[in-house]
Amino acid sequence: MMQSQIVSRPRYRDLAAEDTAGAHLLIVEGDTLAAGQMAALATAFAVVAERLQTWLVSAPATALAPGRVRRLHTVEEARTALEHIEDGFGIADRLYLQGTEPFMWSLATAAGRAGLSPTQIRMQHAGSLKRRVWCTHCHQTTENVTTNIATCAGCARALLVRDHFSRRLGAFMGVMVDAEVPGEVPQREEVFR
Amino acid sequence: MSLVFKPEETFRGDYSYRNSDAAILRFPFPFPEDRYMYSVNIEPHVRSGPTDAFCRPFDIDEHYIAECRDRALTLELDPGRCQVLPHMMAAQWDTLELLMENLAADYPEQFSLTKEGDVFGSRWTWINRPLGIEQHFIFGDPDTLPCEPFEYITRQAQGDFAICDQREDNLYLDAGMITSQADWSLAFNVGMNFMEWHGPVPLAHQAGVFERALKYLLMLRLGQPVRRLNWTMSINPRLDTSPESYPEWGPDRASVTVENAGGKVHLRVELQTLWRLPRSNAILFPIRCFLISIEELARVPKWGKRLYRVLSSLPPELAEYKGLTRYLPATLAWLAPLDDGAQLATGIGPDITELAPL
Repeated sequence: MMQSQIVSRPRYRDLAAEDTAGAHLLIVEGDTLAAGQMAALATAFAVVAERLQTWLVSAPATALAPGRVRRLHTVEEARTALEHIEDGFGIADRLYLQGTEPFMWSLATAAGRAGLSPTQIRMQHAGSLKRRVWCTHCHQTTENVTTNIATCAGCARALLVRDHFSRRLGAFMGVMVDAEVPGEVPQREEVFR
Repeated sequence: MSLVFKPEETFRGDYSYRNSDAAILRFPFPFPEDRYMYSVNIEPHVRSGPTDAFCRPFDIDEHYIAECRDRALTLELDPGRCQVLPHMMAAQWDTLELLMENLAADYPEQFSLTKEGDVFGSRWTWINRPLGIEQHFIFGDPDTLPCEPFEYITRQAQGDFAICDQREDNLYLDAGMITSQADWSLAFNVGMNFMEWHGPVPLAHQAGVFERALKYLLMLRLGQPVRRLNWTMSINPRLDTSPESYPEWGPDRASVTVENAGGKVHLRVELQTLWRLPRSNAILFPIRCFLISIEELARVPKWGKRLYRVLSSLPPELAEYKGLTRYLPATLAWLAPLDDGAQLATGIGPDITELAPL
């Protein structure tokens, strides 16, 4: 499900530090950390370790990380911190994100508002494949969707979760699944575990 | 072609929209051959073409007044159908100028534009007789218009309009007036790049169609617009087939029978043109939608037969993507008796100059 015929679906790569002269900010969704992952990140970021800051979001207190470490409790807290980052961002700065898609795109859109260009952001997917779904009918978003068909949190319609993805909204498109024949709803299956 | 408007016709409710004989004969039928597949079918948008619908930069027809009214109704229900990102103001004025100049030049009985100068700050007067508008304004000053310039002028034109900003060797969908779309959402797609907003189209990406098209469009030159046709089908002559309103029109797809297909099933053709804009360097992308019932279309014998051949050989992925699957069998059953198997001339023209009387 991470690969798709639909090319608006982002592709993610393993994070690797880019040796630019600016500041490097790595934000990791802590509860997605598998064993050995942080060690791999430490290796990947060794080259910029002196200019690296790592934010651990909702991570266990014992988790270690490379660079100067800051601990945050929630993704909302991290968003706010990003939007209020002192002195803003420069063109040599890089933001690296690791976590679920809703987590990464919440932060990427916040960073965009803070002035970071998409070319300065790198992402590596980790953890659940759950999705944020945007309803084409009522324009509300539904969080933590793991099934092919989701009930819209805004209008309660049964939405087919498509692979078409909007970076601006950080969300997948949801379209009413039984608009043509009301009640004709396929079996719900957990496909984005 | 003389313009006799049909201001009372509707694109919703009782769906009273119909095409006159002249409108049928000028229809931009999209199939030059008996089979259809995606291709980079882009050609210069010159003042000639296989039917009259191609012959003017911005086409106006008998449905003009009714279409502008339908757009106003849609915007009243959902103002988000017109969106312009903040950096697009220069492109908005570019669009207004291009449309006003061309409409006034091609339809002098309907539109006129008087300019005291070409540069920002000049006084302009725009007259739109079919809609009863006389507007004095200062070119470049949005406060002298009742709404922003892009919305102002596209409320007075047929078809949807998108503006693509060009940067980083890509095109970004950064503005749109989209009220007659073939099932795509401006609110979802606004801000996307060329590859992203074409993301859901099947087969064409693998064939490299979008890479080639993008490369071509990045080189588009001022004063040398290009065009292509795209098509799908709609049940009823409905302009607003947006995903937003899909719960309203979706059930119509399940209402098609062999008996009613002729009047209900419509071929929906988009004459898409692309224009480099002078100040902003953006690309204006007008999507002029033409609707025709298959009953009307079949009055041109070549078109009825060819439509049958195209639809009966359509790759299933395309039928699915275009949303035809549910009513395709009934449509084919309605069209089948028209096809006598005769060889059809290549090309999209009707190959007749008059329709047989009904």
